[in-house]
Amino acid sequence: MAHWLSQPLSWTTAAVFLASAVAMLLVVLLFVTYAIYFERKVIGWIQLRRGPNRVGPYGLLQSVADVLKLLVKEDVIPDRADRTLFILAPVIAFVPAFAVLAVLPFTETLHFADLGVGLLYYVAVSGITTLGILLGGWASNNKYALLGGMRSVAQMISYEIPLVISVIGVVLLAGSLNLKEIVAAQSGGFWNWFFLKQILGFAVFVVAALAELNRTPFDLPEAESELVAGYHVEYSGFRFAFFMLAEYVYVFAMSALATVLFLGGWHPPIESLGFVPGLVWFALKFAFCVFFLFWLRATMPRVRVDQLMTFAWKVLLPLALLNLFLTALVKELVA
Amino acid sequence: MLGLAKGLGYTLRRLTEKKVTYRYPDVPVKMPDRFRGIQHFDPDKCIVCHQCERICPTQCINLTGKPHPDPTKKGKVIDTYDINFEICILCDLCTEVCPTEAIVMTNNFELAAYSRDELFKDREWLAANNTNVRSENSTNLLPGGKKS
Repeated sequence: MAHWLSQPLSWTTAAVFLASAVAMLLVVLLFVTYAIYFERKVIGWIQLRRGPNRVGPYGLLQSVADVLKLLVKEDVIPDRADRTLFILAPVIAFVPAFAVLAVLPFTETLHFADLGVGLLYYVAVSGITTLGILLGGWASNNKYALLGGMRSVAQMISYEIPLVISVIGVVLLAGSLNLKEIVAAQSGGFWNWFFLKQILGFAVFVVAALAELNRTPFDLPEAESELVAGYHVEYSGFRFAFFMLAEYVYVFAMSALATVLFLGGWHPPIESLGFVPGLVWFALKFAFCVFFLFWLRATMPRVRVDQLMTFAWKVLLPLALLNLFLTALVKELVA
Repeated sequence: MLGLAKGLGYTLRRLTEKKVTYRYPDVPVKMPDRFRGIQHFDPDKCIVCHQCERICPTQCINLTGKPHPDPTKKGKVIDTYDINFEICILCDLCTEVCPTEAIVMTNNFELAAYSRDELFKDREWLAANNTNVRSENSTNLLPGGKKS
């Protein structure tokens, strides 16, 4: 990939980029299909059920059937809704979710854009999704949707700050915002991975990432028992599928980011296991991150809305700042 | 913090535990004895006493008798016997009241059908419904107790 990226833009390179983007989109769609399947399976197993097992062998086609059903549904736009924004919102929510994947390096050679400020790009672009969610909530002209959208915005903006500050510790240690160089700084065994050196930052990152993903225990924007379905009450069919897709693509992106930042990316845990391809190590760590999200969802109840903001500003943010100062101090004194 | 870890550990252990759900449509569910399922009717035992018809709270049983084909015998034999499962509530009263155990409960319960007409079961169908017949019926009311 680096070979193609270094060449001047021509029709050939443009075609290669387009083809690789489409391939990535297909991979992500496949991931989303089976992430939903495994989420339902894992939660089922934990609740002593079997999970989906009727459609196809072992229920493997369940998500496919669900998506097909969404696609053939009637396209409903509420009468008093803001038509343009209503149609635009799912697009604005989904596009950044896919765009952030561009900077994630999967192995030494398999990556897309090799940005110097990859991490900053990720954080900045992922913030746009919040806009899509607020637009969706606003344009629906529905009080539940608006409440859900506003909760979502308040939550995602509040938790983005501890998320970014917790990651700065990693940036300090690696000395770069480039995700490839951050991974390179973690080579040579699992004791070099940043989740050990940055244990406090890692803890803050995990909590803030969960809140960013709007997943249990931070799924207040779509708290079913309080808000019906949050910002997508009025959405159905294809547009709803897009919101859903955006959510799961962020699961993909956030798990990949956690792998890259804290779990050593494609590096094996011990040097002598280097004969296993880097992509396999990446996939294993990535799969563990995704599983952890499902596992947490099956375990935790929802955070109360009045505790949500206090937790972000009075617990996570000071912890993240403390981690930042400690990291700077240690780096200054030791190195 | 410890509580979170404890909770996660608990759910992780549940992951591989035995499932509590039934594999129902794939594997039939075994109902307990005394389950009130679809009735089995044995025409040979019926003495056309009309007691089941009379006691039925929803009047879903319809039966007619005819004179005994052997003129030397007294009494009647059954001619038609229908249960309308649109309104039958499977209350077990017909089988309780039957003096000869001609109508008994089974453990079969699958009545779902695409048409309401299919829920109208006649004598032949009820006689053929002879699987999973309840083993314990109210024969203890008869002198001599339970017979097999």
